[in-house]
Amino acid sequence: MTFRQARWDEPDVWDLVPVLPPGPAPAIPGVPERFRRKETIRWPELSEPEVVRHYTRLSQMNFGIDTMTYPLGSCTMKYNPKVSEVLARRPGAASVHPYQPEPTAQGSLELIWRLERLLTKVTGMREVSLQPAAGAHGEYSALLMVRAYFRDKGELDRRTEVLLPDTAHGTNPASAGMAGFTIREIPSKEGCVDVAALKAAISERTACFMLTNPNTAGLFESEILEIAEAVHGVGGMLYYDGANLNAILGHTHPGRMGFDVAHLNLHKTFATPHGGGGPGAGVLAAGETLAPYLPIPRVVKSGRRFRLDYDRPKSIGKIKTAYGNFGLDVRAYAFALSHGEEGLKHVARRSVLNSNYLAARLGRSLPRPFRTLVKHEFLLSGTPLKERGVRTLDLAKRLLDEGVHAPTVYFPALVDEALMIELPETESKRDVDRFAEAFERAVQDSPENLRAAPRSLAVGRIDEVRAAREPRLSWKDLRAAGAKVETQ
Amino acid sequence: MPRWISDEPHEEASMLEALGIASVDELFTDIPRKARIGRMGIAEGLEEPEVVREVDKILDRNRPVGKFAPFLGGRIALRYIPAAVDAIVSRSEFYTAYTPYQPEASQGMLRTLFEFQSLWVEMTGLDLANASLYDGATASAESLLFCSRLHEGHRFLVPASLPWEERSVLANYASGPGLRVEEIPYDARTGRLDLEFVRSAVAAKDVFGVLADVPNGFGHLDEGILDLKSMIGDVPLVVAADPLSLSVLEPPGNYGADIVVGEGQGFGIAPSFGGPLLGLFACRREHARQAPGRIVGATLDHDGRRAFALTLQTREQHIRRSRATSNICTNESLMALIFVVYASLVGPRGLAALQTSLAEKARTLASALGGIAGLQAPRFDSPYLGEFTVELSHGTATGFLDRLRRRKILGGHPLADPRPGAPPAPERLLVAATDAVGEKEIQRYAAAARAWSAAGGVA
Repeated sequence: MTFRQARWDEPDVWDLVPVLPPGPAPAIPGVPERFRRKETIRWPELSEPEVVRHYTRLSQMNFGIDTMTYPLGSCTMKYNPKVSEVLARRPGAASVHPYQPEPTAQGSLELIWRLERLLTKVTGMREVSLQPAAGAHGEYSALLMVRAYFRDKGELDRRTEVLLPDTAHGTNPASAGMAGFTIREIPSKEGCVDVAALKAAISERTACFMLTNPNTAGLFESEILEIAEAVHGVGGMLYYDGANLNAILGHTHPGRMGFDVAHLNLHKTFATPHGGGGPGAGVLAAGETLAPYLPIPRVVKSGRRFRLDYDRPKSIGKIKTAYGNFGLDVRAYAFALSHGEEGLKHVARRSVLNSNYLAARLGRSLPRPFRTLVKHEFLLSGTPLKERGVRTLDLAKRLLDEGVHAPTVYFPALVDEALMIELPETESKRDVDRFAEAFERAVQDSPENLRAAPRSLAVGRIDEVRAAREPRLSWKDLRAAGAKVETQ
Repeated sequence: MPRWISDEPHEEASMLEALGIASVDELFTDIPRKARIGRMGIAEGLEEPEVVREVDKILDRNRPVGKFAPFLGGRIALRYIPAAVDAIVSRSEFYTAYTPYQPEASQGMLRTLFEFQSLWVEMTGLDLANASLYDGATASAESLLFCSRLHEGHRFLVPASLPWEERSVLANYASGPGLRVEEIPYDARTGRLDLEFVRSAVAAKDVFGVLADVPNGFGHLDEGILDLKSMIGDVPLVVAADPLSLSVLEPPGNYGADIVVGEGQGFGIAPSFGGPLLGLFACRREHARQAPGRIVGATLDHDGRRAFALTLQTREQHIRRSRATSNICTNESLMALIFVVYASLVGPRGLAALQTSLAEKARTLASALGGIAGLQAPRFDSPYLGEFTVELSHGTATGFLDRLRRRKILGGHPLADPRPGAPPAPERLLVAATDAVGEKEIQRYAAAARAWSAAGGVA
């Protein structure tokens, strides 16, 4: 254990300097006195170096993919190419207003148009829209499209159900609920959809079946064609959650598997940085049936010019302001151009190789549920740790002391004490081996050490129960609680 | 092949050997033959210099705002971004991190988000803020769903002057639970909300929330909003506020807002053709468990050291699934970081000074445009800050803007819903003062408008 994170005794931003007593805001001619702020915003007045040092110190108390291996399952934490960062900051990308007249934004429109076309080939779908801000936003938009489709067919009254497997990401049922559907969960069998149970559950009430393939157990749903046939057989739509697309790039795609609509995460598969929680970019891809329902505007090419097309009578309309997270589209396009056909295919091959190689090795430390051939990620169960009085959570915290991030833990729920591990293609064999060694050391460490972890980070094990029981959610709360700021 | 994937000789071979297989192909036998594809039909990969040339070639077909005198605004602002903002947001410990699921490893981002939440609380006068939503429009839409959890009813009232994009987003979010978005008419002279309409709608008992924006979609301030809460009683009031305006305007929490949402892009975030943006959301303490999105809380570690973690997570999709308060997972954390860094660099006095200066420029522009035949500027007889609406009595907003563009002026943007089926609307445009324009650019704008007028409103 040689890893040490910075541990700055850094005050909160409002404790860096005395905050001036608030006075009235300046009066603006014509603005009624009633509307005028009586007390200026309570916030410190800081010099630039004070601000830069504060946030630089905070940054040093944070893990990123640039500092360490980040094996979060279903998150596809791959290296974010620096060239993409440079390009997204060009004035031609960053300094363009979405409401500029079309002739002055031909470059943005062309980049969107090109990336959309490229992604139709990656997904095998008819049309692509880059409008959603994130994966869940894409899912939700897709379900609104499904809703609009059945409304047009006069079937919305009876198409009330969305079906999904018990391995689905939480966003799937949440999106379906927000879109007004009731949810039916289909049990898994050996980590994959129990097709018999699915067939028994589908009916003319089925609006949509949502599926991630490969799924969150890291398994390819090999019966996908049969699933598609069954869902279409009752007139339902099939939705592809693209969270795990990385594993199958260039080998199969949602179109070939029979999906009607899909979302992709540019911040996973196409290497745009995750920003400590966002922004993401959730691409929507639709087959022939649902393409007319994509959000407006669509970018179209007329002759050599690009323009925004609002004339889509069946479109669901807008799901956010403007046209999507364009800054991420630029990054993703650079990533796709760099890889090209063979490169993208290699991405899948290398991520699946990393995953199977690591799974085989770690399978000697902890049990692996289900079959052994996995795709980009795999599951382990931390159940045997319980015999030693420790849990998956302790193992996760102990891994942080090794200078690597922890895997996704306690998901999916069908595996007890689950660890979900994904090391994408940008991790070298050396990185994978180093992670494996760290993992083995952590598993074999004493229960005392596991429970005491982490010890090498800015803070020790955090009391999350207390955070929820006594919510302190802002400076205002801290003041109210009379909480003295501790900086030791 | 890009250098992002290690291709050390024998690396793959030794991994295959460890697995006891001959080829990576054997790892794909679980994909049935009938589901496999041949070529995708994508060009072969490029080396980094070629990628740069290729992308630059495309982006060079844009004419960035710096090539013009820019008067564009609306929910997306053009403002100078201090260099220090990019220095901090370029710290890759921040931008290459994932959502802080392991809080011990992510104290930097968590603390920054806690400071961000605190700032939005101070600005709005409410009690708690979340760690961001996608953008202002989806924040308004989440507030609609939020109100529906607090109050009975099917009708959600919004100003008819709300930008059409936002109304469309709201209609989408309302459609799932079978709710209705209804437009509050405005006074033709002042653009102010018809409060009698609100009063009678609320009296009919089916209204579960009312949203008002500050400034409104026309760029104007509506004093009537200060009295809305006393009129609607226990029906939740949402105020969609421009954050910069809150440097000089009363915090909405002080006049009864239960929720304050907003678009945060104007605080240091590049316009980037409309994304990523930043959705702001704050509410009252008693409604904390109904709030959408991630929330960071302060707590302690096992040594009693102060620490931060995502909290109140039982509201969220990964726990509550179909009964979550929202489906949001990935948010706009990095944009939230920019917001709080920008505000800390500029400071509360600097923000108020910036808003004051933009308001001055807008007034100068309005008076320069006064008396030009064929246009009314501002269209509404109401106070405004940095933006106002211009209405043309002949010609089209697009034609007017085209004419200005030929004189290197981005003169604003049309307000009308561009969908072919949309109801006919007056030729209006929203014009914004930006910090990139001064007296000279304002006079150029006026001269171009006079030339348009002299040509009879023909582009």
